[in-house]
Amino acid sequence: MSSAKVKAYAQALFAIAQAEGAADAISNELYAVARAYESSDELRNVLGDATIPSERRLQVVEQLLGARANRATVQIVSMIVASGQVRELPAVFDEVIALSSAGNDQDLAEVRSAVALTEDQQSRLAAALSKATGKAVNLKVVVDPSVIGGLVATVGDKVIDDTVRTRLDNLKTRI
Amino acid sequence: MISHIISLLASEDPTQTHSWILPEQAEIIYGGLASVIVVGALVKFAGPMIKKSFAARTERIQKELDDAAAAKVTAEGDAQNIRKALGDIASERARILAEADAQAASVLAEGRVRITAEIAELEAKAEADINAARGRGSDELRNEITVLASRATPLVVAATLNDQVHKDLVESFISKVGAGK
Repeated sequence: MSSAKVKAYAQALFAIAQAEGAADAISNELYAVARAYESSDELRNVLGDATIPSERRLQVVEQLLGARANRATVQIVSMIVASGQVRELPAVFDEVIALSSAGNDQDLAEVRSAVALTEDQQSRLAAALSKATGKAVNLKVVVDPSVIGGLVATVGDKVIDDTVRTRLDNLKTRI
Repeated sequence: MISHIISLLASEDPTQTHSWILPEQAEIIYGGLASVIVVGALVKFAGPMIKKSFAARTERIQKELDDAAAAKVTAEGDAQNIRKALGDIASERARILAEADAQAASVLAEGRVRITAEIAELEAKAEADINAARGRGSDELRNEITVLASRATPLVVAATLNDQVHKDLVESFISKVGAGK
């Protein structure tokens, strides 16, 4: 799917979320779904397998999100799965959260950490990133064990990387 | 006379002879005359032809003898030539064999020199290869150690990162980012 098409999809979905009156909540849930999709091979295999009947895949979506997420979120994810564009799900939902952040005059700040951050850490981190970028940020923390330790923050085109993984990679390169 | 002969014949008994082995006298006379006539005719008429035939035969035999003599001379000449050629062949064979021996000796000597040089070259190359392989082995070992170390390091580091270290890393990041601007 082209970048323009991804944006078009995202704008349409964001419009739905706004119409539901819960744009931020739905965007956050879509962001969480995108991260879950990226991190789970099993979920990718099930949702992306065209040999599995569409009804069965939609049933999986319903079972995963039905009781936990906004109804509109479930419907949006189901629509993406049913349309056969599930591989584009992370890109589309990232664009949705970016639109949501922009609507709040914020930059989306994705932070990857090896461990979960406390509320206090997240608020201080958001403040620090806002100070560093000069703009309010919509902080999204992704727990990613592959970074080993430390954090990497991506705000727009800017990447602030202070992870153990990167230090080890640099060390490996030097060796 | 004829009538006399006829009368003689008529007076004789043809079933009776005067001798059991000799013919009658008249038969001897007539037979002798007839033989003389036949012999004379032969001498007169067939003699020259026979003589001529004998002469031709003699001439032919003589010619054959001459041809045989000439062939013998030719054969002797050929034999002489062959003997000479054999002599030449023998000397040529000896010369060729001697030349071949000389060439073989030369080739052998050159081959020995070349093989000696090639052996020396191969030995030098093998020694260089061994040294290169030794170096490669060291490099490969070093690379292997590096690979293993780079694989093991994240695991070791991850295992040593406790909650406090994670917290320190997060706080360090927040401090750095906050102090960045």
